Amino acid sequence: MIRNLQRSLPGVPWVAPAVLLLLTLTIYPLIYSVKVSLTGPAGFSLAHYARLVQDRFFLQALTQTLLYTAVALSIEFVLGFALALLIDSLAHGRGFFRAGLLAPMLLPPVVVAVIWRLIYNPQFGVLNGMLRGFGVNTSALTWTSGEGSALASVILVDVWEWTPFLFLLLSAGLQALPQEPLEAARLDGASAWQMFRDIVLPMLKPVIVLAILLRAMDLLRIFDQIFILTQGGPGFATETVSLYIYRTAFRFFNFGYAAAMSFLGLALTVAFARSLMKVMRVAR
Amino acid sequence: MRAAVKYALALVALAVAVAPVYWLVTISIKHDIDQFAVPPLWFRFQPTARHYVEIFGDGNLARSLWNSTFVASVSTMLAMLLGVPAAYGLERLRWPQDWSRKIGFWILSTRMLPPIVTIVPLFLMLRGIGLLNSRLGLILIYTTFNLPFVVWMMQGFFHEVPRELEEAAMMDGDSRMGALVRVVLPVTKPGLAATAVFCLIVAWNEFLFALILTQTSASTTLPVAIASRVTQYEIKWGAMSAAGVVAMVPVLVFAGMAQRYLVRGLSLGGVKG
Repeated sequence: MIRNLQRSLPGVPWVAPAVLLLLTLTIYPLIYSVKVSLTGPAGFSLAHYARLVQDRFFLQALTQTLLYTAVALSIEFVLGFALALLIDSLAHGRGFFRAGLLAPMLLPPVVVAVIWRLIYNPQFGVLNGMLRGFGVNTSALTWTSGEGSALASVILVDVWEWTPFLFLLLSAGLQALPQEPLEAARLDGASAWQMFRDIVLPMLKPVIVLAILLRAMDLLRIFDQIFILTQGGPGFATETVSLYIYRTAFRFFNFGYAAAMSFLGLALTVAFARSLMKVMRVAR
Repeated sequence: MRAAVKYALALVALAVAVAPVYWLVTISIKHDIDQFAVPPLWFRFQPTARHYVEIFGDGNLARSLWNSTFVASVSTMLAMLLGVPAAYGLERLRWPQDWSRKIGFWILSTRMLPPIVTIVPLFLMLRGIGLLNSRLGLILIYTTFNLPFVVWMMQGFFHEVPRELEEAAMMDGDSRMGALVRVVLPVTKPGLAATAVFCLIVAWNEFLFALILTQTSASTTLPVAIASRVTQYEIKWGAMSAAGVVAMVPVLVFAGMAQRYLVRGLSLGGVKG
């Protein structure tokens, strides 16, 4: 029988070890997590899910995560696209600029956080230092440690770190565009804007969808930088879903509730990805 | 004239991207007294190596550096060892209907799972079998992380190899495995190297799992060791920056090595955990 299997499915022994590892360390934990989320003190219970709807800290973390994602993604997309077009149009030094512009996204997130601590620190940071050098009174500029400015400050860090990602994908997309339609349009006297709107944008759409999708999925799960820069504070000002789950599980040791939250987060991510795919398909 | 404006804009963007990194490096080689001068000292200061001497003299940090190196390289080797045959099997061997596409897609989809979803059960599992605060536990997790990526990357590289190559080798009496090792892998060497480099970067940079699964100073990795210093009340800026530079340099070197494959590798999360 094993011999028969070997003959009809020769690929199985090649793939089996990888699949087994993934089943053990991805799918099994997932199922286990469903179980934990559905277990109360007295056996099966939906209490963890019921609590989600009333937990205003969770709702605030969720709102902030969505806000963070929307704002960071919009800025990163526009900047990344503009940079891709700019660098693509240069006659010399494209490789040089590309390499330098990619640096922020390659750094370990911890190092990014260290760098921005050095920049944002109200007393010792280089940002306020430069402003003071220009004679600005910086006593009110507290950046990540101010309740009102913390969220915007961490978004700015995200923009610095991840605009290169959109730049990278979009500029690869631009380089792969066929040149003939552009040449033809140029000969027909089309303006740069017309060419961009009617030729470049439609042809680039698959890359745009991919880039937005990948970045959005990462943004929705944002953890590292915020954890190190602000720990979700001051107060609750920069708390995100991932941080709140972390705190629930590993500070308050409520694993069931943490699991329930993570599934809601997962459902939202999937729903978001699907609707985006649909919208982009209709828009074509 | 328009060209000049374009280059000026490109230079401004470049400066914004690079200046913060440069600032980190300067703080790591400045004497304490120069670190917070107003206006800030960008170029003219007396460099010193004392922060680097200090961090390498600190046993905990040196150990976390070793832990990071060990965990990243072993997990990369494991992911390649499991992932390369899987990619080859899916790409080259006979499967009923579109099984190979379906399996490949399923493997990739496990990579899309937010880590926060599996971290609670993985924490409980590892605690159950006594692998909490061990490098082995982290190695297993990072291998799982990188495996889908290896399969996906290597499938693409194998696809570009003409089938005639290995068929010729098998005519000459090589087994499938023999043909893979002696003929196909040497042709895909740049792809193999690039894939391994991206796995190394992912494992080296990873923070969340290391934070939760390794909490003792004997087992923790460099990112967590640095983060614990950042969040302490009294921060030693010079030492912290020096540690940051130490964490950053290998990644930049690796990325430079894999430059040709950056788009392919980075688009599917070749850097982010």
